Amino acid sequence: MQEPEMLENSLRQGLFSDRMPRPCSLVIFGASGDLTQRKLVPALFDLYKKHLLPPSFNLIGVSRSPLSDEEFKKRLRDALKQVDPQLSDPLWESFSQNFHYHAGGYDDFRAFQELSRLLDDKDQKNGTQGNRIFYLSTPPNVFEMIISNLGASGLASEDKGYARIVIEKPFGRDLASARELNQKLREVFQEKQIYRIDHYLGKETVQNLLVMRFANSMFEPIWDRRYVDHVQITASEELGVESRAGYYESSGVLRDMFQNHLLQVLSLVAMEPPAAFEADAIRDEKLKILKSIRPFDQQTIPQWAVRGQYGPGFMAGAKVPGYRQEEGVKPGSITPSFAAIKINVDTWRWHGVPFLLRSGKRLPKRATEVAIQFKEPPNLLFKGNVSDLSPNVLVVRIQPDEGITLKFETKVPGMTMEVRTVNMDFRYGTSFAEGTSEAYERLLLDCMLGDATLFIRGDEAEAAWGAIMPVLDYWENHEPEEAFPNYEAGTWGPLSADKLLEGPGRKWRRL
Amino acid sequence: MSPLTANEVEKDLADLWKAPSGDKTGDLGLQRVYTTNLVTYAMNYEAGFRAERILNDLAEHHPGRYILVRPSLEGEEPSLKHFVSGHCFIGSDKEKKVCCDLIKLVAGEGVIENLYGFTFALLLPDLPVEFWWPGDLSISNPFFQRMAEESDRVWVDSSKFSDPVGALALLAASWKTRHPDTLLEDLNWVRIHRWRALIAELFDGEWAVYLKEIQKVTIEYGDGTSPTRGFTLACWLAHQLGWGYQGPRVTFFPHELNFTSPHGSVTVALKPVPVRDLKRDLILAVRLETSGKRSGRFTVARSEDPSQVLAQSEIDGQKSFSRTVSFQHLHSNELLGEGLKHLQEDQIWTGTLRMAGTILEDPNSSR
Repeated sequence: MQEPEMLENSLRQGLFSDRMPRPCSLVIFGASGDLTQRKLVPALFDLYKKHLLPPSFNLIGVSRSPLSDEEFKKRLRDALKQVDPQLSDPLWESFSQNFHYHAGGYDDFRAFQELSRLLDDKDQKNGTQGNRIFYLSTPPNVFEMIISNLGASGLASEDKGYARIVIEKPFGRDLASARELNQKLREVFQEKQIYRIDHYLGKETVQNLLVMRFANSMFEPIWDRRYVDHVQITASEELGVESRAGYYESSGVLRDMFQNHLLQVLSLVAMEPPAAFEADAIRDEKLKILKSIRPFDQQTIPQWAVRGQYGPGFMAGAKVPGYRQEEGVKPGSITPSFAAIKINVDTWRWHGVPFLLRSGKRLPKRATEVAIQFKEPPNLLFKGNVSDLSPNVLVVRIQPDEGITLKFETKVPGMTMEVRTVNMDFRYGTSFAEGTSEAYERLLLDCMLGDATLFIRGDEAEAAWGAIMPVLDYWENHEPEEAFPNYEAGTWGPLSADKLLEGPGRKWRRL
Repeated sequence: MSPLTANEVEKDLADLWKAPSGDKTGDLGLQRVYTTNLVTYAMNYEAGFRAERILNDLAEHHPGRYILVRPSLEGEEPSLKHFVSGHCFIGSDKEKKVCCDLIKLVAGEGVIENLYGFTFALLLPDLPVEFWWPGDLSISNPFFQRMAEESDRVWVDSSKFSDPVGALALLAASWKTRHPDTLLEDLNWVRIHRWRALIAELFDGEWAVYLKEIQKVTIEYGDGTSPTRGFTLACWLAHQLGWGYQGPRVTFFPHELNFTSPHGSVTVALKPVPVRDLKRDLILAVRLETSGKRSGRFTVARSEDPSQVLAQSEIDGQKSFSRTVSFQHLHSNELLGEGLKHLQEDQIWTGTLRMAGTILEDPNSSR
């Protein structure tokens, strides 16, 4: 981990949580939105309860809606009460004492000048020392406007303290727009000031991929083409498009899940050991993997990528509409709600090992996991006694039920030589008395500490777009290979996805 | 009757977790999990009863192999008896029941002190061995001596010592020599952790400069109680801020401690104030005052509501920072649970104990 910005306060040494950031102001653009109330403020409150928020801390909500400080606080409090019904008055008062609201349009330069004055005033009164984090929790179409105005009003400058900008996905909608967004950001901020959030990276199990690989000596020697047959990375969702049809229609599953979450997980699974556990060393190695993804040939894309869209079906016995019947979706939409892609990573370590990625909506259950399937052992010794041996599989469950399972063969007790597959299980939920922290809690704290390890660098975002662009282009310019909808809601996606798994012992995992 | 063996105890445990007959699945929907061994030795029946309650609570949050050794009631058969019980809670994944076990060994005088070998046999391999000694310090007890050698860490609670001054002085002077490979931990140190955190946060960032200007510290505690916590807090401040103790070694907790810092002298006052509830050795408030160009006053004090604490700082008489935080009373099982999470040696505690050793007179010293 990069050397965090610790305080030179010798009384902090040896405390259970000595990762205390410097005093700062957090400015949230889009403060009246859902993310602020559902994720950001509860995460801040958890940090507060754990004494991990700096003692001098301002939260300034910015949005177009005219609200008073009190109305803003009331909204946040009401939302927090839903998450934490035990919330007491004195605790809330103390937590929110430096919460403020600033109404203004994102295109209104004067509003940014006023924001600058407000921040100066809060620095003066609350000792926040000019340290500012600007969190863009807005639709992406206003990112550039906000970035420009932050630059023009001097808020991106680091004269007084640090200035950091946090950007929620999507980072563009294709390679060209990602480059454009990065360019815009770099005109105003330096790369070290930019924190691109992918909340998957804040999940405990995703971070544990690095610990599992590099803090144990038993995995790394077999973590390559000699022993690994293939890798499956799955992120399945039970939910349909819900209220996000507007966004989803223009993005689809590739933009929503692959460019960011799944390729980030792939890069952590496949990367070489970094020179140090530091932000740039780790991100350099991830970037190498993203750049090593074998480019897709436009002519053969259907052999490497399968798309799908759900039709009507049943979830937990209840009838649910198909994608095209969802509110806000065009009746003839060809937006994919499911994708499965076979990726080759052309490195010495992974040559010839396919990485199979799949994600979709309205699948039977919500689950995200990485499964490393090892090569089958030669069944010479038990030939005649035992039918086929199953390959060993190491499964890292990212959500829910975070943990690791190793599948291996064992003898069934008895007089005959019968072999059966059993699971050896590690579950975070049972091995550690305390639950895992919410991803946003970890990521907000890291941003305050200036630790960018779990954030995506601009070149990574571009490399990830570069990797999937041929598939995106092909799908946007060609009719689906099989008519949509091609899978029933509540099933594991189109059967045509099976063709990506050629080879003995290869089939999509049943999660 | 042949003597009890560790295998018989393990067999009883295995029976405990076996699915009831008729259940063909063999799956009780639970998972046995052990993250540590924790051995506890109670000096008398009442202490054993209290320790058992604490272990029962702890086992419902922190899965481990728990072993309680306690004396039998007067008049009971002195020979060794054992009892096993299972403890389960719903894991944080909210699905599986997480289960662990408690083995209770009960024996009379003459047997109980020598049960260390039997206890060793019940420890699970490849897991840390923690030894909690809940009562008064008794380092000559054979069980204490042998278990301390076998353990990774020994937990005591200095606020429960009948002679805290003598015991702390003894531990400071001789623990490292007696048990160089075993860490000594104090639940009282875990107990004051939140005071340390709250005091520390008053000096974050630009306020850190005031640390070297501290001239006076007042630690208020409940009148009529022993200020073990307050004294430990004072030793921590002195150790962390590089103060040297100026004064004779003492055999009691003095009301005033004088230190020299690289920037002048510092006085720490341990001030008793009247309290309604005398049961607890409470710290009520800590106030740190600075000299220098701008005078600072940094205070952490319990509110009227004992579950809350107010932390505030004033510079030149002007309030510069203030916040209220929750401050729930932590029970022994919670303290142990918190302590067990952190496995590395706590260098700050070691230094704090060393500082205590420069102030307190070792009862065994020849002086």
